[in-house]
Amino acid sequence: MRKVFYFTCFLFLFSCKNKKTEKVIYPRQVGDITYDVKLDNPNFIPCNGDDKILQYFNTGKGVEYRGGKKEIKDLFEKNYTHVKVDESGLIRIRFIVNCKGETGRFRVIQMSDNYEQFTFDDRITNQLLMITQGLDGWKEKENHGTKIDYYQYLTFKIEKGNLIEILP
Amino acid sequence: MRIIIVCLLICFTSNVFTQNCDAYKRQGEIKKYEACKKQKEAYKFYQFTKEYQELLDEAIQIDSTYDNAYWAKSIAYLKSGDFLSWKPLIDKAVELNPQMHLGYRGWCRYQFFRDYKGAISDIEEYERIIKDDIGYCQNGDYHLLIAKAICYKAIGEKDKAIKIIEDYLKDNDEESDLYNYYHLGVLYFERGDYNKALSNLEKQKESNNLADNRYYMAMCYKKMNNTNKYKETILEAKKLFEEGYLLNDPYTHHYDKVYLSQIEEEINKSKRFNP
Repeated sequence: MRKVFYFTCFLFLFSCKNKKTEKVIYPRQVGDITYDVKLDNPNFIPCNGDDKILQYFNTGKGVEYRGGKKEIKDLFEKNYTHVKVDESGLIRIRFIVNCKGETGRFRVIQMSDNYEQFTFDDRITNQLLMITQGLDGWKEKENHGTKIDYYQYLTFKIEKGNLIEILP
Repeated sequence: MRIIIVCLLICFTSNVFTQNCDAYKRQGEIKKYEACKKQKEAYKFYQFTKEYQELLDEAIQIDSTYDNAYWAKSIAYLKSGDFLSWKPLIDKAVELNPQMHLGYRGWCRYQFFRDYKGAISDIEEYERIIKDDIGYCQNGDYHLLIAKAICYKAIGEKDKAIKIIEDYLKDNDEESDLYNYYHLGVLYFERGDYNKALSNLEKQKESNNLADNRYYMAMCYKKMNNTNKYKETILEAKKLFEEGYLLNDPYTHHYDKVYLSQIEEEINKSKRFNP
């Protein structure tokens, strides 16, 4: 009985200590994507190293794609096939564009209409991911004369399985 | 000049520039004062960095009711498109201080997520709380009422959108802002009222000359069978685009944005029209 009591006290103290020292571990920057051997193409390499990757808007020019953002919209309109499901919300695909305009390390997050985590039908996410991975018109961005690597993302607004808008 | 005024307005009305930690001290809110000072320390770092986020966590540890720390933490998630992490943070800020953050959340729901209904709901609730001028959106491009009108348009309520903008302009005719007449002109164009569309697009041209605006002017002339003006104006649209006079947002795109390919496509079509 005494042993049980001491063990309970130990657990209690341990949990208190944990709460007090609980600290969120942040990446170098919000939204950083580290290489995952199980997911990522090993041949895709950021030119300036992982710790120098900027955000797409850091150069003040926003999304830069050959033919403009309209080209991205047109490509999705042409290649995305409507999936007949009653699912609505947003899907964001974030990735890196390196100094050569190549892309890699794609990551997907999804939400329902009310900003709650959600999993869309695979036929929707897989299509979007494949089309995004196939985009090859990302422009090389420069910062103070140096070609940079940058994080880019595309957010897809889905309404009842239809792709209705693309952001940012 | 108008752009400079809007920029100054953003600076002086944004949370960052008006933040005066001493105000908390004077009100005897010592914990908030300390949290506020910690937030200022965070501002030495870029919003996306680990250091910035950690210092704001420390601010929250000092005072978990300090709304500005949640708001400040949320920004990097918003800009990286991470709606799942952004929403609980900004919701907490709104819960603690709706007067400060509700209008902002409404704007962000529109600007980054095209959550039109959510944006309308927030802005209208903000109107009920503020009961006065609800002010401008975060980047200064629009009065929040105009942003609300755009959202109504996006959900198909175009007449309501027109009424909101017209009412706003009645009270604020001298301040044409950056794009009010443009969006109103496009609304009238889409409704088929080309005279009213042109009249507003002309006003936009006078206040803030844009390729997008000129494109819709050309489209009005086309609909009105004024072939010469149509051909001339669509070429002007391309020239303005190439000179960089266009709707521009470094994070995302404006509603009613016109792209170069649309202008070029219209130029090709215009070649088939004979005066």
